[in-house]
Amino acid sequence: MTTINAESEALAVSWVGRPIKRKEDLRLIRGRGQYLADIKLPGMVHAFFVRSKHAHARLKSVDVSRALSVPGVVAAYSGADLLKLGMRELLIPELVNELPGTLRLPPSWPLAVDKVVFHGEPIAVILAETKYVLEDAAELVVIDYEPLPVITSVEQAMADDSPRVYESWPDNVIYREKMGGDATDAFAKADIIITERFEVPRTGASPMECRGVLTQWDDHSGLTHWTTTQRPHLLRQAISQVLDWPEQMVRVIAPKDQGGSFGTKAPHSREDFILALVARDIMRPVRWVESREESFRAGVGQERAQIHEIQIAARSDGKILALRDRCITDIGHGQQPVFMGVMYPRAGCFMITSFYDIPQAEIEIVCVVTNKPCLTPSRAFGSFPVRLAMDGAINRLARELDLDPLEVVRKNLVTVFPYVTATGNFLDSGDFVGGFDKLVETIDVASVRELQAKLREQGRFIGLGFGGETERSGVSSKAYVPRQRKPGYGVATVKVLNSGKIHVLVGDPPSGQSHETVISQVLADEFGVTPDDVRLDYGDTLSTPYGMGNVGNRMASYTVSAAVLAARELKKKIGLVAAHDLGIDASPDEFTFENGEIVWVKDREIRTQLRAVAVHLIECPIQLPQGTEPGLEHTAYFEPQNVPNMTGASFHCAVVEVMPETGVIKILRYVVVDDCGTPINPLVVEGQVQGGVVMGIGNTVFEEYVYNERGELQNTTLEGYMMPCAADVPHVETYDHSVPTPNNPLGTKGKGEGAPAPVSGALVNAVEDALRPFGVSITTLPLKPERVRAAIAAVVSPEAEAEPADWVEPIVREFAGEGEGYDVLAEMYRFYDGIQISLQPTWHPYVGQIRGWLRDFGQMLDRAAASPAVVDVLAQMFNGEREFAFQSDLDPGLAAQWDRLRNLPRPDGGHAYLDYILPALDSHEMLLVACSNVPFEGETK
Amino acid sequence: MEKTISVTVNGRVQRKTVPIRMLLVDFLRDELGLTGTHVGCTYEGRCGACTVVLDGNATKSCMVLAVQADGHRVVTVEGLEEFANAPGELHPIQNGFWERHGLQCGYCTPGMMMTIFDILATNVREGSPELTDEAIRQSLVGNICRCTGYSHIVEAVQSAAAQLRGMDPEERAAWFDTAKLEGTRS
Repeated sequence: MTTINAESEALAVSWVGRPIKRKEDLRLIRGRGQYLADIKLPGMVHAFFVRSKHAHARLKSVDVSRALSVPGVVAAYSGADLLKLGMRELLIPELVNELPGTLRLPPSWPLAVDKVVFHGEPIAVILAETKYVLEDAAELVVIDYEPLPVITSVEQAMADDSPRVYESWPDNVIYREKMGGDATDAFAKADIIITERFEVPRTGASPMECRGVLTQWDDHSGLTHWTTTQRPHLLRQAISQVLDWPEQMVRVIAPKDQGGSFGTKAPHSREDFILALVARDIMRPVRWVESREESFRAGVGQERAQIHEIQIAARSDGKILALRDRCITDIGHGQQPVFMGVMYPRAGCFMITSFYDIPQAEIEIVCVVTNKPCLTPSRAFGSFPVRLAMDGAINRLARELDLDPLEVVRKNLVTVFPYVTATGNFLDSGDFVGGFDKLVETIDVASVRELQAKLREQGRFIGLGFGGETERSGVSSKAYVPRQRKPGYGVATVKVLNSGKIHVLVGDPPSGQSHETVISQVLADEFGVTPDDVRLDYGDTLSTPYGMGNVGNRMASYTVSAAVLAARELKKKIGLVAAHDLGIDASPDEFTFENGEIVWVKDREIRTQLRAVAVHLIECPIQLPQGTEPGLEHTAYFEPQNVPNMTGASFHCAVVEVMPETGVIKILRYVVVDDCGTPINPLVVEGQVQGGVVMGIGNTVFEEYVYNERGELQNTTLEGYMMPCAADVPHVETYDHSVPTPNNPLGTKGKGEGAPAPVSGALVNAVEDALRPFGVSITTLPLKPERVRAAIAAVVSPEAEAEPADWVEPIVREFAGEGEGYDVLAEMYRFYDGIQISLQPTWHPYVGQIRGWLRDFGQMLDRAAASPAVVDVLAQMFNGEREFAFQSDLDPGLAAQWDRLRNLPRPDGGHAYLDYILPALDSHEMLLVACSNVPFEGETK
Repeated sequence: MEKTISVTVNGRVQRKTVPIRMLLVDFLRDELGLTGTHVGCTYEGRCGACTVVLDGNATKSCMVLAVQADGHRVVTVEGLEEFANAPGELHPIQNGFWERHGLQCGYCTPGMMMTIFDILATNVREGSPELTDEAIRQSLVGNICRCTGYSHIVEAVQSAAAQLRGMDPEERAAWFDTAKLEGTRS
């Protein structure tokens, strides 16, 4: 068997802190992962949801009878059918937060009963023997809708005469809260007040694996329910409560592998409840694997979406005295159990001051319902838009005061710990000034400023921007119980097996965050074994201790700490028995655990095997010390003493170049300095930060869920949503400035959650800094080229309504040679630039494809331009010549490849020697077709 | 409507009768149980998680019908270690991903690795010249990863390329020789 990091085993040093290879990887790189869609059960049927084609409508009738006539269809249900099976509403009191503001509860049927409130709401569910017949059958479900007025924006929802999403409500406001205190005094004393309105659209964290459920009922076990979830134990409870089934008859299992979650798998999905009901009805296993389109339409991973009307009051030296903020959020329909869409703006606002020492804050939160899917959690949980508002406002403050923004940031950093912010957020530990200074030093601000000045003279614009955050590393029971009636403790069961190997059980399932590796490193140190000797199991409610979920940076701080406590409890017992077996008078804490042995520190010659003690306690429990119970397993609970949470921090700096002609942004450098307490595995930490930042770049620069006025999501594909690929993003440089927390055994803090949040502020501030000569303000995302151009146009020619009509001088490229071929090439480049400039309507049905072609086209042009011989062929082709000669002397490097391609047989009798050019021409043609809006061949208008 | 097809998958000839509308990815996952090939965008051709190597070319198996693969050769992620000389030995691409933490949730990884198989096969054919990070990023535009931020994937490719450069040319080529795969089965 391949062992993990065999080369490191010889070193008898601590495993914690080492960048070892991950334990989970071996199965994954061999294609042997076990994701939900990989699990099959005998007799399993497939499920398909028929979803609403209207965003708001009354359901006059739903008829599934014709679907049943399709061969292979096993059953079909409407909402009315499920009512007969005992379907109940989702928002039972147990699944609603107790919040300090005023909250209204919407109706919340898992499967629509009398009306639908968003496009994509499930109306019927069909079960069939094979998945291919399901879509045929779905076509035959007859739904009679009575369309109702559709509300899709905050403005519409808050208008006095607005129709209501829920008719019985007096308006569309679902939640209102006042947070913090009264800032009137501070504002009266201020030298300067900055006011700005930031608006962040719906984006989020959609993981690569969509959701899925595999569920079955039998009368002995009850419900066995595999599902993509971050919180199996809470889901078990919820299924039991909502369906009124005994809790002991519900078992929820998170698959061993999950293809990312990022918060999107934390809520209880309505599909879980529907499928549990129908599986019990037909007494066969039912599997549903969500499609990407379904996932997008259901709102999975749609968050952000906040408007901030922010004001900061400051002294003329840049010291901030107070802030006011009004946060307005369109949460969609609001029927999501537990989170309801209102928790994200709440959580974000709660942490708005992050590491800034701002003594007073006065915040109003308003959430409205609309006919969109409900917001779902996305990595950074509410903080992404809030960071733009806060860091963006500080940037404005520096600009108004003509101070360096970095100086203003530094002046306002919290320096004393612990610290409680004006909203009540607790910061337990850190070194914000040290981390910030390390960032400034790493980015070498002076040389960036120098280069910036130099380039400006040449008409090029680079800029530097700061963003940052503190994040809560898990939250304790003290904070969770009053809000959610859920515990905050970390919990782990640790068992030492007969063989001296270690088995750990935790309730919260990972989805890529390296739990197996991290726990193994920690427990290898505790027991003096190797990570290979430790095994972790998780996520099955039958075998693991009750855990509140793999959310909010809990693993490294809470779960790891619980595992350490459990291990230390067992070590006491082991020490006791070892002393007894060795016949020495030693207390349990006088032993160290090394290389599978238990060594007496007072005489290292006296030692015994961990395995021997384990066998004595588990297998041969006779002649144990007086009063010692057999067995060697322990479940420990961890809560930090006297603090509600631990605090991580990160400091981001971006250097960007902005092309004012096109509005295109290029990220030249992205640097992050992070505090995650004691890093358990630095490679894993680096991966979390890089991945989080790139998600933030996607959310800031490319991504947006676009809805039309009928409440239909316009971009239901990854391409249309513009999730970034490798070529779209820079390398993210990560540095560590960790301050171990004193509040848990190892000083660890979590690092999975927050990384995307500061990106919005860092990039926007960098773009504004680059465009400082224009005095541009950016207040909304994503930073698409047309938005940047519009922002420039707004200050350069404010009288113009939108884009300046002036012809933009084309970019002149210098080529290696000249002649006809280069003229053709230049023409093609001009076409490329033209598309680049015009290709950013807010959204267009083909925008993703066009962008793909454009990228191919650009790459091919660059490849062609680099070879004079290829340019020569280009000229021959444009002249209509049938045979192309390749001038090997012009490009000896390509000659061999050209000959090889030339000799490849082709079905058309031609040669494959056009591999360098034809793709460019193909892309060119595709672009022409797409841009001229000519229907494709065979397509009717 | 159904058709009987015969596809060589990871060196084994697989003969099955399938609905003509069945996608190659479903054929691999549901008919052959090769669940290492994943579905991320659900048949849109964007995410690349279902990428396999079809007749030597990285191909998105959700964009191909199973019947189109009739008579052709497919290599999936499960086939990578079949190129090894000893059981348990990993393909340099797999080693690269493991060494450089090129995966987190692992969902996009099989598709990524099969795209990289094509990239490195070409690189090896051309005599293993150094690859720039930029070139690697450009060749991965057909595969989306939501966890890693791509830097560690780029490092994984560099690591695999470096392992290959350290081998003699024959040994290097053998890691991409699909004929060898079939040879070991006969």
